[in-house]
This record gives sequence, C-alpha cells and structure tokens, in this order.
Amino acid sequence: MKAQPINWWAIFWIVLAALYFFLPMYGTLDFSLRMERNTISLKAYEIVFADPRFWQGFRYSTLMALITIIVSIILFVPTVYWMYLKVPQARPIMEIITILPFVIPTIVYVFGLIRTFSRPPFQLTLHALTTDMLIVAGYVVISMPFMFRAIDVGMRALDVRTLTEAAQSLGSNWFQVLVYVIVPNLRVAILSGALISFATVMGELILASFLVRPALAPYMALLGLTKAYEPAALAIISYALTWVSLGLLQLVSRGGTTRQLTGR
Amino acid sequence: MTHLELSHIRKAFGPAVVVEDFNLAVTQGEFISFLGPSGCGKTTTLRMIAGFELPTAGTITIDSTDLTNTPPNKRNVGMVFQSYALFPNMTVAHNVGYGLKITSKSKTEMMQRVHEMLALIQMEEFAQRYPFQLSGGQQQRVALARALAIRPKLLLLDEPLSALDAKIRLELRHEIRRIQRQLGLTTIYVTHDQEEALSLSDRIVVMSKGKIEQVGTPTEIYNAPATEFVARFVGHINLLPVTVLNPANGVVSLGRQTLRAGRFGQLNGRPVQLAVRPEEINLGAKPDANTLNGEVESVTYLGSIVRIGLRIEHHPLSLDVFNEHTLKLPRISETLAIHFPVDACWLMEKSD
Repeated sequence: MKAQPINWWAIFWIVLAALYFFLPMYGTLDFSLRMERNTISLKAYEIVFADPRFWQGFRYSTLMALITIIVSIILFVPTVYWMYLKVPQARPIMEIITILPFVIPTIVYVFGLIRTFSRPPFQLTLHALTTDMLIVAGYVVISMPFMFRAIDVGMRALDVRTLTEAAQSLGSNWFQVLVYVIVPNLRVAILSGALISFATVMGELILASFLVRPALAPYMALLGLTKAYEPAALAIISYALTWVSLGLLQLVSRGGTTRQLTGR
Repeated sequence: MTHLELSHIRKAFGPAVVVEDFNLAVTQGEFISFLGPSGCGKTTTLRMIAGFELPTAGTITIDSTDLTNTPPNKRNVGMVFQSYALFPNMTVAHNVGYGLKITSKSKTEMMQRVHEMLALIQMEEFAQRYPFQLSGGQQQRVALARALAIRPKLLLLDEPLSALDAKIRLELRHEIRRIQRQLGLTTIYVTHDQEEALSLSDRIVVMSKGKIEQVGTPTEIYNAPATEFVARFVGHINLLPVTVLNPANGVVSLGRQTLRAGRFGQLNGRPVQLAVRPEEINLGAKPDANTLNGEVESVTYLGSIVRIGLRIEHHPLSLDVFNEHTLKLPRISETLAIHFPVDACWLMEKSD
C-alpha cells in the first residue's frame, strides 16, 4: 500500500489557526501569572477567589443558569415534540423565531424588557425576586437558539411519530410517551443544549448589568475597569468553565449518539 | 361471532377521500389481510382501527363496544410497525415489558410475561440486549412480542416484513402465523405483497383507490377474482378481448379462433374479456379443451418455471411450464399450439 503523501498546506493552515487561537490565550494566562514582580505566581487567582463578590456572582449566575436550563427544557422539549408530531409545517416559522435572539441586539432586547415590565401593571423590577424571574425569562430567550437546535437535531434522529404511536398502542398517554420514550432518547441532545445554555448564561453581561443583578459577568467587567491582573485571571477561569462544559458535552455525546442513530 | 366490525367507514383528508364506504366483519381468531397497491387506503384503514386516525364517518366496534372515537391508548390493540419502532433506550426485556409497566402490573407479573413472550419468539437469551444490537428480523420479533405482551384484543401489523430481506421475510411470515394460531388472536395484516397475503390469510380484503374490490379466501381471490383489478393485481393473468358468439353457453371468438368459457355470468352487451392464468395453459393441442395457435415472442427462464410469451391474433398471452429436464423450449417466432381446460377460464367485463 502506498503511503499517503503529507499535505504540508493543511498542516500550515492548522498551525496558523492554532496560533491565532492559542497565542492570545497564552498571553492572557502568562499575564495573569505575573502579578508579583519577576516571579510566576497564582496571586491574581488568590485575590479573585478570596473576593466574596466573585463567589456571589458565581453562585448567582450558576443558579440562574440552572433555572434557565430547567425552564428551557420544560418549554422546548414538548414544543419541539409537538411540532414534529402535529405541525411539521410550522418548522420554518419556528426556525425564524428561534434565530431572532441572534438578530436583535441584546441591548435593544433589554431596553424592551425594562420598558415593558418595570412599569405598571407589572413593575417586576421593584423586587429582587421578580427581577430574577425577569432575568431568567431573558436568559431563556437568549439561549433559545441553542436549546431549540440541540433538541431539534436530537428529535430528527428519532422516528418520533412511530415511537409515539407504538407507545400509545401499548397504553401510554401523552405524558407517559414524553417521559418514558421521548425524553430518555433525547438525553444527549438535552444535555448538549443545557451545557451550551449554561456557558451562555455564565458569560452574559448586558441583561444582568442593566437589570442590576449580582451576576458573574458584570463583576468581571467592573474588575476590568479597575484592576490589571485579576481580570486576566478571571478570563482564564471563565475559559476553563467553558472548556469543562465542552469536555462534559463530548463525554456525554460519545455514549449515546450511536445508539440513538441506529436504534430506530 | 363478530369480533371486529367496521361499518361504512369513510376517511377524507380535506378534499381527498382516502377510504370510502368500507364494511367488514371479522370473527374471533381470524387472520385478515388488507392487500392493495400503495395509496389504496389499506394503511389508513388499519390506523383507524388502531385509533391513530379518526374516521370522517362510520363506526368501528370491537366486541360490540363502539371504539370509533376512543384514543389509541384505551383500545387495547397491539400494533407492529414496518420500522419496528422499538424504544432505542430500552433493552429487549424492557421493550417487551413496557405496556405492562404502563398499566402498572406488578413486577413479578411483568417479569413472568416478558419471559413468556421471549420464549414465544424464541429470543430468551437476548433479553438484556439493546435494539441496536439486534438484526432487523430479531427487532421485528421483539416488536411482535411487545405488542402481544399486553394481551391485546386485536393484533395489527402494518407491512411488518417489508424492511427485511427475502429469507428472513419467509421465516418470520411462518412465525407470525404460528404465533397467531397458537394464541387464537384476531389479526389484521396490511401488505402490498400478494404472496404474503395469499399464504397467511384466512380472508383477504383487496383494496384499490380507497374502496374494497373483493373480500374472500385466498382461493376465492385467486381463482375467482371479482373485478379486473383483483385479477390483475393478484398473480399473473391473461385477459384476451373476445366477442361473445353465444351468451347461453359461453362460446366466444378471438379473431378467427373459437373458445368456450367455463364461467360467464350475465353478459349484458359490454365488452368482455376471457381470463386465464398462465399456469392453466399447456403446450400442444388437445380435443375438448380450448386450443389456440400463436407465435412465440419470448421465453423467460424463472428457475423452477419457464414463462413463454405468445402473440395470438395480435394479443399477448403468457403461459408457465415447469422446468422439467425433459422440457424442450420453443424457439422465438415459432408457431405453437396451446390448450387450456374450459373450466379454467372465465369471462370478465372490461373495466373502464
């Protein structure tokens, strides 16, 4: 057998792309470790981790992200399922609606939210709890393109209609079909949607800062205005968070997809 | 006793009428096939029995209970799909036990029934496998076991063998019939494969364009098709346009040659054709039989039989002969005499 000739151009472009991607990251990492003069140290990280506002932001954003994910799943799984089953012709409309958060700038969206819901009769921004409800609603909309697409792709790999009918003929009602048959087979899709939503909410700045809630991103922005080394350390921490999310995503999708795709 | 009854069933999707005036009474333990080309309404009718579609008009009753508007999960009707539709996230045992779990049967009863069902399909050792680890034939057997596990009043099979290869199809066909007989289960089987319908069924419902063309035993359907459609759809048939010479005794003419039909019914002046199956025709001339002369156009080798195509008075006719080692095949363009018994052919009105 003849050996494959090495494609030098391919290697060149890969190296170039890797440099473009990793160099700034390396720069940030290097900078974050140089808080103390002439030595490499984790001082900037220590300061960040010692700051209660960081932990407050981290806790708040994590909690909001989890609530967002739960609300999104409850909202989108049945919706997409129903669309597949009953109104497949509504699909193009759904596509357009779910892409809107990409098209409308978040800042415009936030002003819309505030103008509508901070006035009577709603006045949601008067209390922390109602503001949090508003912010979760906002996050659900912002993460909608990811959640919808993930579930959509998972649903497409299933023969939703026949599985539903099989389950129905065995005595299941709609709720049982959804819980026992559809959701378990969408496990991978739901998890990937959830992880992307998680990363999105953790890094979301505009919504949280305009609604004045103690989220992680506004804290990062504030720190960036006043400090030098700590923001770099925070950037690396948030990178790490994203990468852990992506790693988890890889891990869960490996286990299930083959079965999902061939098990129909 | 009538077990399942469909009366005056009609189904329309908007302006398109898919099933029209469908009437059928099925007795307990009967195996019925719906046979017809794609788009004839057979699957839609089955889906109405299952409850996945609601009839536009008409009623469906099982054991004298009107189920026309009952949702599918309340009908206790087992269904097997062409695409198997096993739940990918569940093992074979869980798939089979699913219906029992839903009806909250006890765990011991469930296990016992699953075991019993897997024994029935001879797949006990596969209980812990997932669907993706099984072949198509095995998956379909599991789907059958799953449908039977709920002890349904009725078993519905929607082209269950269409996705399988020929050998497995044959095996599974026998298996379905064996299990159906063993359980005495009323079964409706949808297929477009006439061989499947003929070999499996107690009765066949032949459908075309949403209407029943004929209901009858396989023998009736094959030997005495009621319409030209049935005659053409089930098996091969020769239909020769003939002129009636004597309506009293069924004597007709094909060009200059005279023939006599065994069955002819009321002839009312409409154009008629003489119907005869290829396997009823033999080589050579014979007194007392219908004898015809024609020119050989084709000789097709089909393994156990050889199909010979002739042209008789400008009309095509084919006959099948067994491929015995003594058989001397005719040559193309050769003139050949053939004969068939009078009672093996009949007259049929030409359809529009």
